[in-house]
Amino acid sequence: MLLQQQKETRGRERTMEAKPEEKAEFEEAEIEYVSYGGEHHLPLIMNLVDQELSEPYSIFTYRYFVYLWPQLSFLAFHKGKCIGTVVCKMGEHRNTFRGYIAMLVVIKPYRGRGIATELVTRSIRMMMESGCEEVTLEAEVTNKGALALYGRLGFIRAKRLFHYYLNGVDAFRLKLLFPPPRQVL
Amino acid sequence: MADKPVYEEASIDGQPPKLASIPASDTTVWADASPLLQAACAGLRDGELIHGDNFNLFAAMSALEIMDPKMDSGIVCTYYSIDEAIENGAAPIPISLDSTIDVRCTIDIMDHLLACEAAWHKGHSLAQTVFSCIYLLRLDRTAPHALLHSYCRIIRATCKAVVSVVSDARTHEEEDLFTMTYGLPLNGDGDDKCLSILNAVEETISRQLRACKATSSKRRLPEDLEPLQSNPNLEEGFCKALLCRLRFRKHFFHVLSCMKRPQGRGLESARKHIASCLTELESILKSADFLRSCFDESCEGDIDDKTTASGFEPIGFDAMLNSRLSAPTPPRAIKILSWKKAVEYFVKLLHDLDVICSYSLDPHLESLLRFVVQFQKSQPDLVARSHLQLLLVQDGKLYGRDPFFAVINKAAALPEATKNHDIQKNESFLQLGMLVMNLLKILCTNAAWQRRKLGKFLQDWRVIYVQLELAFRNEYGEVSSSSNDENKCMKIFQHILLWVEEQTYWIAFRFLILGFELELYSTGEYCMVYWYLYAVLIKLTEKTHLMMAVSHDTAKRKGKKKKDSPKDLARESRIPPAVLFLQCYICLAEGLTMMLAALRNEIPVFHSPSPFNTEHEKFVQHFELLQRACIPDHVSYPSYKESTTHARFSTLAMYNYFKDAQRIAKEVKSSFSNDPERLAELRKLEQVAEHNSVAQNVICRLGALDPSLKVSFEFSHHPFFATVVVKRS
Repeated sequence: MLLQQQKETRGRERTMEAKPEEKAEFEEAEIEYVSYGGEHHLPLIMNLVDQELSEPYSIFTYRYFVYLWPQLSFLAFHKGKCIGTVVCKMGEHRNTFRGYIAMLVVIKPYRGRGIATELVTRSIRMMMESGCEEVTLEAEVTNKGALALYGRLGFIRAKRLFHYYLNGVDAFRLKLLFPPPRQVL
Repeated sequence: MADKPVYEEASIDGQPPKLASIPASDTTVWADASPLLQAACAGLRDGELIHGDNFNLFAAMSALEIMDPKMDSGIVCTYYSIDEAIENGAAPIPISLDSTIDVRCTIDIMDHLLACEAAWHKGHSLAQTVFSCIYLLRLDRTAPHALLHSYCRIIRATCKAVVSVVSDARTHEEEDLFTMTYGLPLNGDGDDKCLSILNAVEETISRQLRACKATSSKRRLPEDLEPLQSNPNLEEGFCKALLCRLRFRKHFFHVLSCMKRPQGRGLESARKHIASCLTELESILKSADFLRSCFDESCEGDIDDKTTASGFEPIGFDAMLNSRLSAPTPPRAIKILSWKKAVEYFVKLLHDLDVICSYSLDPHLESLLRFVVQFQKSQPDLVARSHLQLLLVQDGKLYGRDPFFAVINKAAALPEATKNHDIQKNESFLQLGMLVMNLLKILCTNAAWQRRKLGKFLQDWRVIYVQLELAFRNEYGEVSSSSNDENKCMKIFQHILLWVEEQTYWIAFRFLILGFELELYSTGEYCMVYWYLYAVLIKLTEKTHLMMAVSHDTAKRKGKKKKDSPKDLARESRIPPAVLFLQCYICLAEGLTMMLAALRNEIPVFHSPSPFNTEHEKFVQHFELLQRACIPDHVSYPSYKESTTHARFSTLAMYNYFKDAQRIAKEVKSSFSNDPERLAELRKLEQVAEHNSVAQNVICRLGALDPSLKVSFEFSHHPFFATVVVKRS
């Protein structure tokens, strides 16, 4: 059962293929970034993710992430409308304290303007401050946008996972290693 | 449940049947729980969760939403069970009372099964592909239909044989969906006779074909021969279409049986059957025109997407019937390969198997490793790779024939006599044999998995080296004059220690270059990768050169005790071609490292720091496994920085490593005139060297002055040495 669900939670983010049509007009300063604040945010996150991904997650999947690590999830609003979100977790994994980026979505009209980068950056910063040694996620090898985004943030492609997704596409395991914390003299 | 559930009529529009009532048994009674559920819904406010001791949020993620078709693999879609499907006519026998349609439908089933089989090989579950065939799920029912029955039997026997090969190879991991057969009727009584059953049917149809050809003018058939179907104009076409399909299955089954024979004894026979398979596949493709044109009705949709040659949908398949058996994945509709793509897949598979069957079973490990690496370049699929692995490693011996100590003995250039030496019973030597065996198995796996395993493997090779070295020093310490046998043992240790080092660096080299094939490195990381590659290549070349010198010594001692002629002495002092080949690699690696370093140091856009970490962390991550195994020694991030921090366009202009590479490649080509692979690679290396040499000159002259210059890296000539492309943006 667990294995089934884990295979299902393999991220199917199709975040970054920005198309020139139907672009929203806005200034970057108009985007408001908010940390997950409670149950009232949950339907917003769910709607965004369900909209963008072909396979919806069950509500329990969302609850798992936002209940246990509310400080790692962020939402982006433009004029009161939720236009992007990032959902993460962190924990001990084989003797390392590691963060994991589970979902990242920005709706199409708002892509290509650095909103996803900002969402992820906030999450990663929080992970770093919480003592994580590294951050990881999986991305489809064909998702050029995501690979570029995470590459700019310092992630490397640590492994290639053959036929990771159910449609036969390979994945990269992306990993960001934080530098060792500065020693306080 | 003792009694069958009572159903309302199955709806025509394909909605799942509604249960009118489920009878209770002696000890149970049914009660309507709806009010209870309603009350429960109202009992929790938004955001509240019930906590259980053994049920946490993580476990909750595995919860299924019942009746969600994407999660509920037990959901009834069309039919509740296989039996119900059959009762509702989903898999009729005969398929049609009109014999012409029956034959065409049978061919459609054969074609769709081929497409399913290819989809399975490509990575989907057996339950959702081949065993989505209701006829196959209840094979005994097909007995009255000789054609369908014989075909289903051989499919079942073939699948069983293929599962067996892949299971035995045991390196499928990420491809583990392949061998899941739980609950599927793969074992059939009498399947061992499937070939004779098939032959009987083939014989009957052959006779029908001969008869209809012979009597086509007289329009009268021999009394004892019934025609295949009722339309005499189509008889010949149908017979031919069936024959090539039956024959393909027969020959394919033979290929699998022959290749299974131990020690490669069946390889030559297998090649003959492979050739027959390919001929029949061609006939199968050609039959498509006839099958499409023999009926007035044309099928909708793009013919290239269809899973049958005729273009019609096959009868008797339902992928959802087995959805409970395709766990652990959630129920998903999978796309069966098109019939055309399925044939293409089998053509490729057969070509890959033919390459394996043509292999000479060379006892030289070095040649074998090169063969496997070359074979993998064509990206063979799981079934082909499993067959190769089983050929190479059987019963703990190479090809089931050569003990691994003897193989190592030869690879380490030891005299033939030492291969039976008692020292092989030593624990460390036994472990070394296992390592070589595992190396061969790993090299037969898919590139992604292979690289991960090779990385972890480095530690094992390092450890065995240390162990052997320790054992050697313990035994022989400072001994100078010793007995004959002790001398032999010393020699064995020395050779093998050197050989282990060479192998270790070869594995490290393979680990690094696979990163290019798998696209694991981004452009910003190329500099450190080529630098590390350079460091590993230096050591690999050193060990290879030493190994060759030692091998030459052994050969000399074996040869006649003649005085060295001037020619021999000259040959000895020349660098062996294999070493020159590696030196060509070294020059390219060094050239690329320096060019990339200069670009980074001189052009800001090439060096974009990330907000969360530095180049140091990336270095640590990429080379962690190599560093942990100290391969090579004294290589670290600081030494990388030291080598590259002063690179500038001015320093780059001082030496052109690419010109060296070009020169070496040109010179050494004649030594490989009998080796088409290495010759081909040398040509590619020459091209890379030439292009990069020119690019370097342009960059050095204009780099700092022309901001519009764009430098990019492509693998258009060689798989792991990048060609530098300079353009004006």
